[in-house]
Amino acid sequence: MARVNIKIKVNGKLQELGVEAHETLLDTLRERLGLLAAKYGCGDGECGACTVLVEGNATLSCLTLAAHVDGKDIETIEGLEQGSHLHPLQESFVEQGAIQCGYCTPGMIMSAKALLDKDADPSEEKVRRAISNNLCRCTGYEKPVKAILEAARRMRGEK
Amino acid sequence: MKNEFSVVGKSVPRIDAYDKVTGRARYCRDLKLEGMLHAKLLRSPYPHARVKALDVSRAKSHPAVKAIATIEEVPKVVGYWWNLRTEKGMKKMFMQDNVVRFVGDPVLGVAAEDEDSAEEALSMILVQYEQLPPVFDPVESMKDQTIKIHERGNIAFHVLKEYGDIEKGFREADFVIENRFVTSKQKHATIEPIGSCIADYSPSGKLSVYSSTQLPHWSRMYLAGALGLPSSNVRIIKPYTGGAFGGRCGLIHGLELMCCHLSKKAGRPVKMSFTRKEDFEATEGRHPFLVELRTGFTKEGILTANSIKIVMDVGAYATHYIGVIADALSTGVGLYRIPHVKFEGYCVYTNKSLNGAFRGYGNPQMNFAQESQMDIVAEKLGMDPIELRLKNYRGAGEIDPVFNEKILSCGLKECLFQGAEKIRWKKKSRRSSRRGKIRKGVGMSCLMHGTGARFGLPDPASAIVLINADGSVSLETAAADDGQGNKTGLVQIAAEELGIDWRKISVSDTDTDTTPLDGGTHGSRQTYCGGIAVRKAAAQAKKSVLVFASKHLNTPQNRLDIREGVIYDTKRPSLNISLADLMRKIQIEDLSLCEQIIGAATGVAPSMPPTYGAHFAEVEVDTETGGVRVLRLVGAFDVGKAINPAHIEGQIAGGEVMGIGYALTEGLVIENGKVMNSNFADYRIPRSCDIPRIDAVIVESHEPTGPFGAKGIGEATMIGTASAIANAIYDAVGVRMKELPITQEKILVALQSFNPP
Repeated sequence: MARVNIKIKVNGKLQELGVEAHETLLDTLRERLGLLAAKYGCGDGECGACTVLVEGNATLSCLTLAAHVDGKDIETIEGLEQGSHLHPLQESFVEQGAIQCGYCTPGMIMSAKALLDKDADPSEEKVRRAISNNLCRCTGYEKPVKAILEAARRMRGEK
Repeated sequence: MKNEFSVVGKSVPRIDAYDKVTGRARYCRDLKLEGMLHAKLLRSPYPHARVKALDVSRAKSHPAVKAIATIEEVPKVVGYWWNLRTEKGMKKMFMQDNVVRFVGDPVLGVAAEDEDSAEEALSMILVQYEQLPPVFDPVESMKDQTIKIHERGNIAFHVLKEYGDIEKGFREADFVIENRFVTSKQKHATIEPIGSCIADYSPSGKLSVYSSTQLPHWSRMYLAGALGLPSSNVRIIKPYTGGAFGGRCGLIHGLELMCCHLSKKAGRPVKMSFTRKEDFEATEGRHPFLVELRTGFTKEGILTANSIKIVMDVGAYATHYIGVIADALSTGVGLYRIPHVKFEGYCVYTNKSLNGAFRGYGNPQMNFAQESQMDIVAEKLGMDPIELRLKNYRGAGEIDPVFNEKILSCGLKECLFQGAEKIRWKKKSRRSSRRGKIRKGVGMSCLMHGTGARFGLPDPASAIVLINADGSVSLETAAADDGQGNKTGLVQIAAEELGIDWRKISVSDTDTDTTPLDGGTHGSRQTYCGGIAVRKAAAQAKKSVLVFASKHLNTPQNRLDIREGVIYDTKRPSLNISLADLMRKIQIEDLSLCEQIIGAATGVAPSMPPTYGAHFAEVEVDTETGGVRVLRLVGAFDVGKAINPAHIEGQIAGGEVMGIGYALTEGLVIENGKVMNSNFADYRIPRSCDIPRIDAVIVESHEPTGPFGAKGIGEATMIGTASAIANAIYDAVGVRMKELPITQEKILVALQSFNPP
């Protein structure tokens, strides 16, 4: 089977890998790099549990070939903490009770981060749209939406 | 009201939040064991067939293939923990034959070095099937004498129960209405697909199974029974679980037992994880119900008779079924004070994937029928739907005829009043002009749902509280947390009872080797049943602490209490010692003692208190497209006492949203036995954009048997959502939708026949 050599930056760390031509970024992260936070939920790009950031954009890693992200910058939730400090999104998800089973959480937070990095003061409607590709069966989206709006306030330096 | 508790009633963050928010939480699919093989199933392409011959020779010679186990070797589970009660029941719990009964029914499993090889090996297997005639419709299946899905016939269970004299009830009625309701096969659609486990069957006879089961201890007994092992040799380890809702309420069809057999053969651990498609096509769903209701009532709005006939589609194998149809009694018989009731139910096999436990059990199905019927009654009488409920509901002090128990707490009236006020019922109800393209309406429904299972099933709960030498506490419980947060709730209960900081308590992993017997996480039972056990164990530990403290402080035990981790004399608070100091003394410092404080409790909860609730929905219907937008939902629930209000709000929002799906979009479409919508594009669960404002109203009636007054909540939150939405649609456009899901097409068709152009 054809192999492709790629160089990607994952959570700030350069990785040189030989991957299968048909290998998904989700498999590369999980199987080769041991980054298990991005989840398999459907394999069809319909549930968003595998969402990571590629060059800052929320991307479905189960539909993305690893070979296609050669030279790109990848962020997963494992890279969000700074030292022992949680990212405001993480903090806010904990405090607002926005987590239940937690399986969709990494993907949802990464979608939210992609939004907040571009729009510091999004409307609730925008927040709902940003996570509309992240299916959640537990929370009813109420608390996650609140948590994202709260994180945005914090990141803007508001109380 | 002043909170008399230190931590009960507070929304403390979940104890697993940090793991989950940093991506550290490990779910079954994330686990790897040394030397682990990967398994795949060969599934039947036919809805009903006999496997005449299997040629596995080519697959066996595949270098990566290490074991194959077939339908004739691996038993199927056809029961639940009711069967564990007797030898005879245990024998009936498993079946083994060479017949496949639905498209996707496993024929064999292959374990190989990697998934691709296992998949490749499947394509090398030749199966000779003898096709048998299938039957898909439960009503046909009941009547059909020629097609037998199981040896004993197609009716798995028949129940007939009569309360009072039904004919008398109808004679006493001024009006009698009859309606027929149909519900869909909803899928749990947990974001972690159902079906992932690792079995590690050591040649020494010890079996370890990593599984996201809701029932660690029952699963252990099922596996021990099926494999002829002592329970002590079987260890179930439950990692984090990506949602369950009943979908993991037992062994998964074709999963754990297959992996155990493969692991035994290969002498290596075997992992199998279903794809999303396999989850949709071949794991349990919610039983579709056909409900025929005949209801008698007086012109004053008093219900006199209710005749209920249910045909329930079990699918190909029966796991949870008797309990599911019995739960229909909650709304059908328990909720309202109807003197004369006839309840008849049939659980019928069909050649479709099986159905089982799902949030609410049989209650959401029956609720849709009964609460739509109540709306029709109210309409007929020109009475406010809330008033009709208030006239007929069974309240505290009355006997619930289903369990034959006195109702000790019932906050339904408060739920109705507070919910109605939130949605501004009086302003909005029956106000639709039923003109214009877009029409608005409101609807409501009520429900009750028992907490736990003690009146129907074995329902144990246990806990061990260990106070450590530094005053910290280890809580050992098998209460599986599938995401609800029940472990956090149990920590709060233990902390409250012990008088210590909740952060000083840590909870064991869910592992049957180290935790005592527990009935599992189902039936909204962990806060109540688990909570009672935890509180008792904590109380026992506290008592032991006070015995030592009394000696140490030289003061009578009955004058001592613990607050914020300090044991003190209630009459003279300056006389005190910290729990940490006392524990160090008795456990380590004093060489003549060296005693750890251990509190333990086990047993069944004293009752099965019903949780009550009311759902309110406001919708907008587009009469040109048939599209429904839910504008607002209010869910008001009597939870006895909210141990952790944020968790309850989370349950309410999550349940309401699952209910929106049940109402409007969700249902497996099965044609000739084949599932046509086995992905999230075609099987639509609500997304963040589909969700309206949801208000959660918490009512606290204080259940005297519950821990600090608490009772269950998980299931109740979705039971009446579909009913409320259906009633709101009627309010908006005047068409009565009697079949779930209420799709756009169905509304359009109904509107066209209602308003001929």
